[in-house]
Amino acid sequence: MAFSLGFHIIFAAIGMVMPFFMCTAHWLYLKKGDERYLALTRMWMKGVAIFFAVGAVSGTVLSFELGLLWPGFMRHAGAIIGMPFSWEGTAFFLEAIAIGLFLYGWKRMNRWVHWTTGLVVGISGFVSGIFVVAANAWMNSPAGFTWDGRAAYGVDPVRAMFNDAWLHQSLHMQLGALQAVGFAVGGIHGFLYLRGRSPELNLKALKIAMAFGAAAAIVQPFAGHFAGQKVAQLQPAKLAAMEGHFETGPRAPLYIGGIPNVEKRTMEWGIPLPGMLSFVAHDDVNAVVTGLDKFPRSDWPPVVIVHVAFQIMVGLGTAMALLGVLYFWFLKRGDFPRWFLWALVIFIPLGAVAIEAGWVVTEVGRQPWIIYGIMRTKDAVTPVPGMVYHFYLFLALYLALAAASVWLLRRQIEIAQKTSEG
Amino acid sequence: MIETLILFIGASLLLYVVLGGSDYGAGILELLPAGKQREAQKHVINDAMGPVWEANHMWLILVVVILFMGFPPIFTTLMTALHFPMLALLAGIVVRGAAFTFRHYDAVQEARTQRIYTWLFGLSSLWTALWLGIIVASLNRGIIDPTAGNFWSAYVAPWWGLYPLTVGVFVATIFLFLACVYLIGETTDAALQRRFARHAATANALLIIAGAGVFAASLGERRSLPQEFLHDPRLIATIALATVLLVPLWRFINRRKRTATRVIAASQATLILAGWYLLYAPNALITASGPLSFYTAAAPPATLRQLVLALLIGSAFIFPSLLYLLRVFKLHRR
Ligand code: HDD
Ligand code: HEM
Ligand code: HEM
Repeated sequence: MAFSLGFHIIFAAIGMVMPFFMCTAHWLYLKKGDERYLALTRMWMKGVAIFFAVGAVSGTVLSFELGLLWPGFMRHAGAIIGMPFSWEGTAFFLEAIAIGLFLYGWKRMNRWVHWTTGLVVGISGFVSGIFVVAANAWMNSPAGFTWDGRAAYGVDPVRAMFNDAWLHQSLHMQLGALQAVGFAVGGIHGFLYLRGRSPELNLKALKIAMAFGAAAAIVQPFAGHFAGQKVAQLQPAKLAAMEGHFETGPRAPLYIGGIPNVEKRTMEWGIPLPGMLSFVAHDDVNAVVTGLDKFPRSDWPPVVIVHVAFQIMVGLGTAMALLGVLYFWFLKRGDFPRWFLWALVIFIPLGAVAIEAGWVVTEVGRQPWIIYGIMRTKDAVTPVPGMVYHFYLFLALYLALAAASVWLLRRQIEIAQKTSEG
Repeated sequence: MIETLILFIGASLLLYVVLGGSDYGAGILELLPAGKQREAQKHVINDAMGPVWEANHMWLILVVVILFMGFPPIFTTLMTALHFPMLALLAGIVVRGAAFTFRHYDAVQEARTQRIYTWLFGLSSLWTALWLGIIVASLNRGIIDPTAGNFWSAYVAPWWGLYPLTVGVFVATIFLFLACVYLIGETTDAALQRRFARHAATANALLIIAGAGVFAASLGERRSLPQEFLHDPRLIATIALATVLLVPLWRFINRRKRTATRVIAASQATLILAGWYLLYAPNALITASGPLSFYTAAAPPATLRQLVLALLIGSAFIFPSLLYLLRVFKLHRR
């Protein structure tokens, strides 16, 4: 499950962001008539088609897997949290229709209607991303039912969907998708530009992708801070694990780097910034921040994993925000130094790394709960033995799909570059 | 409320069989020897399926979502007892979708990779259709047992046996039949049309054999089909009507009447599904301890209301856009 999700989320992010790049290029083509924008639109369109198909099939697998792997979870949760899924289904349906129209509709429709179908692909993908993250948020902040220890009563699916965590999580996730894909696509075109391959085309492509990526990257630290404050309030144990904060107390320090030592309950090698954690979590350097000591040992999430993942995400997020600011600076100045483009190249995979790290923070940080405070993960798992086979089956399938998509994309880019040069 | 949801499930299944089924059938058709016509056939199938297959596929997701939100006990029972067929189905769906898209969008169109895609697409279409039938057959055998203590009776017995397999074959032939009938109208090449009509005839013959096989195999089940049919004349009526419709269907096929053939073939599929529905409704599953009906397995009313609302609002967007999709690609061809 976690593996399918970890895979799906990358494809989903690409599938929901790429259409916007495609639409922008298409719009510029329709406005300016520059054939290079048409070439870009066509190239990205093929990427969208491939990623949509893979995203769609991997998503189908997920919707079954929920029941296959977590029957205990779904028996209780289905009725409560099905709502975002049903809306997600609706949004996908529209997306599937729109993508058929866009991909095959060249010359069959009015060109602006055709352009709009491309936009609908992007919007419905984006909206469904929000819905599905709302479902995940509910596991962190269960709402919309009362629990008597065995069954749920008074189910209110609307409240369940708009739980206390949905806003910060989906905001943060959608920005993360925009910036990760923006940097990745920008980096790929930056690389081709550095190699001197159809420089004008690639520079145009880079600018479209980075306009989204850089803007999202600059906003992200604020959204992340907002997320952190919500976590401090909703899931103090998760925050404590993220920060390696063992002792409850005022003027709590924020650590840069460092590995928590769970035995000794201290942070090792980290650089402490006194009072900063109190400030970050509660807007006040003297505020008391709940530490892990307030929770029984059996309710601790795996502290080291959560802390390290969090540091990776925040580190990458900070770096990307700086690059984002530099991007707009260089854009205004009118030319990009080579070192900057190389920096973008390095960041091609790192946005995806940040997304995965972020999911580790939310998911592992919630352990040992699958539904925070309500159901433990061990009570939710499928009784079917031999889960490892299941895992290997999908591992193999997904690795094959990932490899095939990357290979196809490379062929795509090579051909597109050749035709636009020749 | 529950009736509306059952209606949605029934309608989605029907649309999945008729629309998605033709896509499966097209894959199966590509497995058959085609000689020089292979390339032309591939192009027709690409053009016919390309714009719509993603949308066709959504009907299955819709069913899953409705079960999952509206009837969680049914969903979880199904997913536990039929864990392995579901896995097989999923693997098939993934390979199918990927192979079809990759075949079309691979930037380098070389013969060898194209052959591999086609082969994968065809095999996974056949494989998935078989498992779909096996799953459908397993729902009502009365073997699913949520309290079963050992591995075999909990996870294998529900779908093991000759009967589910024959239903799988039956489903695959229905799909092949639907695809052939549908594809005739998707090309203007007379030789290809003849090929599709010829395979429609083969599929038709196979369908009768497979249908007889299903009946024969059901004799070994707890409740055999002949018994059920004798109890309920409506069942005989649906099957008889579906069979009688073959006569006008073939007349129209031979005259290449596109709309009429499609309407009749779709009605036949509807009749077969209707028969199945009459046989079991309103039970979703028949387990070892008795039927599990949609009425007893429903989620709380607040959830059902939201689900129906989502489906109705969704339909208000989806149906017009689907019609637009069909109008753009299917009505004004050439
Ligand atoms: C890597 C990416 C990743 C992503 C995108 C997600 N998760 Fe996750 N999930 C994990 C990575 C992960 C994990 C790190 O692998 C966990 C934590 C502990 C574990 O064993 O798996 C996990 C645990 C976990 C569990 C408990 C199982 C367990 O702990 O063994 C459930 C039911 C989910 N997740 C469900 C979800 C849902 C509904 C998500 C989004 C909508 C989601 N996960 C996103
Ligand atoms: C439990 C978790 C999830 C389930 C059950 C799920 C379900 C699905 C399904 C069924 C599809 C395919 C629909 C189709 O056939 O077109 C899909 C695709 C997609 N999912 Fe998920 N999903 C999950 C997690 C996520 C997450 C975490 C995101 C990220 C924000 C996400 C965003 C998307 C997007 C954008 C697509 C469309 C693919 C594309 O456009 O390329 N999903 N998902
Ligand atoms: C300075 C930057 C960042 C800060 C302060 C930050 C903070 C956070 C916090 C506190 C959470 C936990 C939310 C929760 O459990 O409810 C989180 C989750 C997450 N982060 Fe970040 N983050 C930052 C940058 C990034 C970047 C750059 C990405 C991706 C490109 C990213 C992707 C994610 C994802 C995917 C999650 C899990 C989904 C969610 O719960 O929203 N983050 N982040």
